Amino acid sequence: MKNQSVILITGANSGFGLACAKALAEKGHKVYGTYRNFKKAEPLFELSRSLPVFPIVMDVDRTPSVQKAVSLIFKKEGRIDVVINNAGFVMAGFLEDLSDEDLKAQFETNVIGILRVCRAVLPIMREQKSGKILNIGSVAGFASLPGLGAYSATKFSVNSITEALRMETRPWGVEVSEVNPGEIQTSVVQNARMGKKVMSPQSPYTPFTRQFEEVSKERFKKAAPVEKLVGVVLKALEDSPMKRRYLVKADDYATYYLRWLLPDALWERGLGVMFPWSRFPKI
Amino acid sequence: MENRQVALITGCSTGIGFDTALLLARQGFWVFATMRDLKKAGPLRQAARGLTLEILPLDVDKPASVQKAAASLLKKTGRIDVLVNNAGWGAFGALEEFSDEEIRAQYETNVFGLMRVTRAVLPAMRAQKSGRIIHIGSLAGKMTFAGIGLYCSTKYAVEAITESLRLEVRPFNIQVSVVEPGQINTRFKANRHKAKTFIKKGSAYQDVMNQVLNYGNQQSAKAPGPENVAGTILKALQAHRMAVRYPAGFDAEWFPVIRWFLPDVVYDLLLRWMYRRFQRRGQ
Repeated sequence: MKNQSVILITGANSGFGLACAKALAEKGHKVYGTYRNFKKAEPLFELSRSLPVFPIVMDVDRTPSVQKAVSLIFKKEGRIDVVINNAGFVMAGFLEDLSDEDLKAQFETNVIGILRVCRAVLPIMREQKSGKILNIGSVAGFASLPGLGAYSATKFSVNSITEALRMETRPWGVEVSEVNPGEIQTSVVQNARMGKKVMSPQSPYTPFTRQFEEVSKERFKKAAPVEKLVGVVLKALEDSPMKRRYLVKADDYATYYLRWLLPDALWERGLGVMFPWSRFPKI
Repeated sequence: MENRQVALITGCSTGIGFDTALLLARQGFWVFATMRDLKKAGPLRQAARGLTLEILPLDVDKPASVQKAAASLLKKTGRIDVLVNNAGWGAFGALEEFSDEEIRAQYETNVFGLMRVTRAVLPAMRAQKSGRIIHIGSLAGKMTFAGIGLYCSTKYAVEAITESLRLEVRPFNIQVSVVEPGQINTRFKANRHKAKTFIKKGSAYQDVMNQVLNYGNQQSAKAPGPENVAGTILKALQAHRMAVRYPAGFDAEWFPVIRWFLPDVVYDLLLRWMYRRFQRRGQ
């Protein structure tokens, strides 16, 4: 990475995006951090007072907003070297409980949002014959859990999009990669949404959803500090060429390799230990 | 008629849906073959003479149409044993060049449509405490290819949805699987509407797209027909416990195995070599 790169981070007003903006700005890069809601962007503005961090408004759900923000940055800097596609959220709930609108909202931000930002920056990157795009995926992007189907589906999609973009943009020297973090202490839990029907008394899945919530709370108690993820991202951006994917913690590696090595049936049996109700009923 | 298993299949005007509907009807299922446009029902109606096969209109993109079809089926039969989520199509093009509408249209059918039909039948299946759902995924749900990244990303999402849904509905004795066809020989001209090509004028990606399309055309001539996939679906339905995934066809079975062995770097090189080879042959 160049000494003073121009970096765009989406969803930089809290959690990982904010920490990453800070770390990159401290290294002397010019960081454009996007926020959607001005009222929630205070920490980002606070950061901009002491470091080369520039808050910029962008809603990844809207093409005009994305185009406008990217062209503003391009007008000012004349280039964009790195994009970190971080904006995203979790739509929790069992799949039958999620409505059309819930599913669409989830894909609109997590998948189409990334494609929108790529559509805006790729012409610039292809022109300058260099650039790095780093998508923030998830361990759920290769291991899908019950109760997290919609989120997993979006992250599986991101997985595929990363791979396709990697191949398609290579002729111009644009590098694409993804990071697949597991449980990290970020704002992802606070920002999680739920379908309207999820956890309602009418839903037949409510007891299971409750158990799922308990299990994930338990897992998040062991979540790694956000600095660990920031460290991996910094390392990824230093790599040239970037690897296909970056993992963060030891148990993410364990999940990745177990999913890779175990046959489906055995993998499911493992999940059955975590979620006893999901085993085959004895008939 | 009462003892027959009731099967609902979407996208039956041609291809996999067409062959599956006929095969299941011959096997003694009470088949409800659905399609978007009843004007295309002629060939199926002709082929299904003497079989218990009924044709219903169903557009998976439209919630009202899905509700109506499901309701009229349940009114007639009182139960539903099998759902085959087959309706889908492929968007070809470079990821940078798809508009929001094109992306949404692709997801609308392949992901949201699939979940819409699933949601419509699940209450009945839960009530009767039995049922089987088969999603038609793709080899493209296991591996990504340049130039069809958007299609691949929808099929990756289907894989995640299968893995989650499978466990979520298991307490109700409902089984879920994904059948993954590889390349299918598109003998019928009518099948070609299932793949739309989006290449913008003066596209920077013209080269890549030519390679992809040449490769696809040459492979599909050698590929097995859709009847092969119908056989795999039947095999899954006859299994006591359905596995997570059933690859259908030589490529669907072996490509992921090869991918599994290869490091990313080697795999990237292999793909590049393959595309180039087919481009030369295509000229």
